[in-house]
Amino acid sequence: MLPYRIFSRLIQYKEGDAAMRMVLAILVCKILRFIGKLVGKGSSLPGEYALKICPDILRRVTLPPYIIAVTGSNGKTSTVEMIAAILRKSGKTVVYNEEGSNQIEGVTTLILCSSSLSGKMRGDVLLLESDERYAKLSFRWFHPTHFVITNLYRDQLTRNGHPEWVYDAILPAIHPDTTLVLNADDPLVSCFANGHEKVKWFGLERCSVSTVTPQGVYDDGARCPVCRGRMAYSCYHYHHIGHYYCPNCGHKRQNPDFAVTELDLDAGTLVIGGETKIDLAFRSIYNVYNILAAWSVCALAGAGKADAAAVINNYILKNGRMVRFTLGKHHGTLLTSKHENSIAYDTNLGYIRNTKPDCTVLVIVDAVSRKYFTGETSWLWDIDFDLLNCGQVKRVMLCGKYVNDLAMRFDYTGLPPEKTVCYETVAEAVKDLQENGSEDLYVVTCFSDRDKLLALVRREQ
Amino acid sequence: MELNILHLYPDLMSLYGEYANLRVLCRHLAVMGVQAAVQAVEPEDAPDFGSADMIYMGAGTERGQKAALTALSGSAAALRAAAERGAVILFTGNAMETLGTSVTDAAGKVWHGLGLASYTTRETEKRVPVDVIAKPVLWDAAAVGFMNKCSVTAGITEPLFSELPLGFGNDAERGAEGYVSGNVFATHLTGPVLVKNPEFTDLIIRRLYALRGWQLPETLPTLPHEKEAYAVTLRELTARIQK
Repeated sequence: MLPYRIFSRLIQYKEGDAAMRMVLAILVCKILRFIGKLVGKGSSLPGEYALKICPDILRRVTLPPYIIAVTGSNGKTSTVEMIAAILRKSGKTVVYNEEGSNQIEGVTTLILCSSSLSGKMRGDVLLLESDERYAKLSFRWFHPTHFVITNLYRDQLTRNGHPEWVYDAILPAIHPDTTLVLNADDPLVSCFANGHEKVKWFGLERCSVSTVTPQGVYDDGARCPVCRGRMAYSCYHYHHIGHYYCPNCGHKRQNPDFAVTELDLDAGTLVIGGETKIDLAFRSIYNVYNILAAWSVCALAGAGKADAAAVINNYILKNGRMVRFTLGKHHGTLLTSKHENSIAYDTNLGYIRNTKPDCTVLVIVDAVSRKYFTGETSWLWDIDFDLLNCGQVKRVMLCGKYVNDLAMRFDYTGLPPEKTVCYETVAEAVKDLQENGSEDLYVVTCFSDRDKLLALVRREQ
Repeated sequence: MELNILHLYPDLMSLYGEYANLRVLCRHLAVMGVQAAVQAVEPEDAPDFGSADMIYMGAGTERGQKAALTALSGSAAALRAAAERGAVILFTGNAMETLGTSVTDAAGKVWHGLGLASYTTRETEKRVPVDVIAKPVLWDAAAVGFMNKCSVTAGITEPLFSELPLGFGNDAERGAEGYVSGNVFATHLTGPVLVKNPEFTDLIIRRLYALRGWQLPETLPTLPHEKEAYAVTLRELTARIQK
């Protein structure tokens, strides 16, 4: 294998001085990345080889003045995309891992391929979507100037353990000099501020979506993450995200430095800081927090309000999580959720619940993950499928390998059984839709399964 | 016919949809004409184990588990008495660890267990999230499910599962897993273990009927989709082993 031969030769210089090793590492990284692009390989391998040549390469390179990292259970990709767009609009050169390689090897590839052989990285801002479990490895040799933590909740428990395990994994990645940009409304995320001086908060003030009781099947906000006492909430925005206060130990939501002060999801508008009105291309509470997180850190990095507002007003994400298509006479919308992430599901189900015209909903669970094997389906019981128990949802189609698990879960909802139809495969469900009906169609599934649908429909531009 | 079920700390100790175990069990019982009342017990409550036919606790975070242990410490004797009386006790996930004599956390601190069994648990830095196929001691069909543990449990001579063709046992990969003694059942299988394993549900129902001295019907109910869902999971996990 050519890359290996090149590497084997170059590694002989490993005993050379540090400067030579750095140059070699950068050179090898660039060459391997060039070759990798030609043959369609991923972006981790070049960084992996570079780290073998010069393990502390990330300490030796000169990085831009702003290093912004984003981590958390949900919203990383969308938030990073909006941060890049805002900062570019405000005239900054941004380098970021658009391909989503968010572990240390991918980060190394990104940095070195954007650096000169002398080790100076180009650009004003290095922007990183950071895997929450591996952030401590990425930030061993350098640290972000700003570290955005969006939220922590049940996400891919088969891979991640649980939210507190992830919290413990992120903690060592936080440097005292880093400014934390934290979601004030998440009681677990706010614990990162304990003992840390540089903290900025973002949050959503009480608004039209706020409720006085928790929504969802489970309540991860019931217990204080600090003392396990019963938590009190003056309002919930979704799940455990809201305005909390622990009567036992005093752990509480901090007043945000950056706030959405008004929100009307029905009208698709929000107001930031009492003055900047933003129209929402996607009327989801998720989108609200992602926009606010991006707004906050961009303000800290020097972006002007006018530039930020111009970018995020009606901003349509390019990461393709919402896809419109035609199937037979149906106008369809794919809402990409994440299997093993009940809040992602709930958010999309809530979106469907807020629509008005009659519709059919198709839920696909075929492969639980695209990256690893598991037959774990307990997360289905954490999803609030009762959100589909509303007048405009005329039919729920279930399909995929785990259709029986899905059907069993639906047996424990309030949906009338006659509304639910099961199919073994996506193709069978698509055939039915192709031949019958013309109502709106919403498809809820994961990256692991969505291409099985998209291959059979006509995408709209 | 009526049954009393206590669900211990459903907020604190329910990481993997564990409530579904009781939903499914209660529906099976309802089909059989049994009204099962599920009472949620919070850490601030003094649980009334004396009148409980069944006591259930699911999995929590490691810190949540310690809070549960602390909350239950004053009720350990009452829980042991319930076990001696024959109440069905089912602890899943890391709730299993609390039934032993101690849990040593990753920092080395020793937490006293509830003492229903003589095993001990030591938490580790490494987490083992893994699919499971298990050979049950008390019923025929292989059990399926998932575990998500960061601990090793030693000193169990009466496992619930004799070996795991797939998964990590009490103290070894593919080794024996869980604990059973009389009507006390413990397993590190997380999530809705009863939902996933209809034969385990049937066993629990038989034990509850025996506790009450009720006449068991000749056949136990099968609810839609349960056996099909089980079969698919077993098929997929078995194929995984053979790869």
